[in-house]
Amino acid sequence: MTLLKDTEQGTEPAPTTAAPHTGRRTWAGAAALRWTALRLLALAVLLAVWQAVVAAGVWPRVLVPSPGDVWHAFVKASTVHDGVRGFSNHLLVEHLAVSLRRIGIGTGYAALVGIPLGLLIGVVKPLAVVLEPAVTFLRTLPPLAYLSLLVIWFGIDESPKIWLLVIAALPPIAAATAAAVRGVPADLVEAARALGAGPVSLLLSVRLPAALPEILTGVRIAVGIAYTSVVAAETVNGVPGIGGMIRDAQRYNQTDVVIAGIIAIGLSGIVLDALFKGVERVAVPWRGRV
Amino acid sequence: MSPTEATSPAETTAPASDIELSGISVRYGTAKAPVTAVADVSLTVDRGEFVVLVGPSGCGKTTLLRLVAGFQQPAGGTVKVRRKVGVVFQQPRLFPWRTVGGNLSFALARHGVVRTERAARTEELLSLVGLSGMARRRTWELSGGQQQRVAIARALAAEPQILLMDEPFAALDALTRERLQEEVRTLAAVTGTTVLFVTHSAEEAVLLGSRVVVMAAGPGRVIDEVPVPLPREATTDVAALRGDPGFAVLRTELAAVTRDAATA
Repeated sequence: MTLLKDTEQGTEPAPTTAAPHTGRRTWAGAAALRWTALRLLALAVLLAVWQAVVAAGVWPRVLVPSPGDVWHAFVKASTVHDGVRGFSNHLLVEHLAVSLRRIGIGTGYAALVGIPLGLLIGVVKPLAVVLEPAVTFLRTLPPLAYLSLLVIWFGIDESPKIWLLVIAALPPIAAATAAAVRGVPADLVEAARALGAGPVSLLLSVRLPAALPEILTGVRIAVGIAYTSVVAAETVNGVPGIGGMIRDAQRYNQTDVVIAGIIAIGLSGIVLDALFKGVERVAVPWRGRV
Repeated sequence: MSPTEATSPAETTAPASDIELSGISVRYGTAKAPVTAVADVSLTVDRGEFVVLVGPSGCGKTTLLRLVAGFQQPAGGTVKVRRKVGVVFQQPRLFPWRTVGGNLSFALARHGVVRTERAARTEELLSLVGLSGMARRRTWELSGGQQQRVAIARALAAEPQILLMDEPFAALDALTRERLQEEVRTLAAVTGTTVLFVTHSAEEAVLLGSRVVVMAAGPGRVIDEVPVPLPREATTDVAALRGDPGFAVLRTELAAVTRDAATA
């Protein structure tokens, strides 16, 4: 039995016909190409200026190595030469992989704890009163400040490093989740209540998914913070690890290795952030459409 | 769909009214500077009635609907709602993280429909509102009218015996609005669902209501009640009704009354 007939379908543009979009897509492709060209140009200018500064000889080569020196250090750290494997017996990618793994585990635990914590802070007022200042307190601490404490408590193995990253990554996730849960449109909550949703299904089936876009943004920010904290985490017994590698190189005045390490961290950060944006597009496709 | 069972003989012997508001007052603002939004309103809606609340902005018609839905409490007076309520809002308020079918199964799950039966019920509900086969579509891919149809289907999923509708067609284009008006009128006639409908359009009020309650603002109060003696059978040709002289006379009268209410 059809009581409500759909008459609007005819007036709706068919979603499968891609033809009208092709023009725009080509245009967008050309624009993307132009932006990429601009980026490459900027990079070339940067390298040229860098090379010029080194050539001018204002500072000793040990302090400011040339782009070629850094490239050489990069290649040396990435290969086995004279029976020596990379830097400190590990290839640069291995250092990076160990650090990324720490970042992944640290942010993972932080999300595992931070999201439920944020949900609770967002909906239970007494918990918010107690925990919100604690989260803010934690967020303002520089990781190096609590590293000593973590080393005293957990030694110098893997656990203090993970703990440090969890502590660094948890506050932004909890804060973003709490804010997002509070910001869920009252309209949707009311609609769900009208359909008979109780407190538990309201939280898990309405507030949580409605908050998901902002929660993911919080996690992305947390990954960034874990990135900036990983060098601090690897200050003590950090090899293998990209932060440990930079520390060791600094100790022997190998400025070129330090710079190669910094560039490796930055580049991997760009790649990871792009991946994360892709995940967001897939996980919360409704973002910006409602 | 089986909301028709609500009008089975056994149940009609129960109290004849579905909704009873008596001596309702609603206040906003602070304790020092209260604003009376609704003052001493009483309203009874009988089983199977289609009551339309009409009046200018700020007359408290939506507030009354929200009281019946249980979204807010009155400062004074009593609210009695005797059977299960479903709500359709002005905006569809669909969950964007769920598909069309997902929105319906959310309502079905809350209503206690077991998982294995939800897909079949979803398809039934969609065909009821003319959206067969659209269960897997994303809500934002639909037109405004289609979204509102999904919202109606979602409200019906919980098999309410009373349907509250708060200006559900106000945000739609004229053509879609007319189509949905006819369909809701027929739906109510077929299922025997009690409807409390809020609008500011005199035409919509006469077309849909079996009784029209006119409200005025400052403070919100009922100033008139107009019975609508138009045919209400499921088979009634609603399109033809719009051209009926009796409809035109009623609409003009009611428009005059609501205009007075706006300046009262």
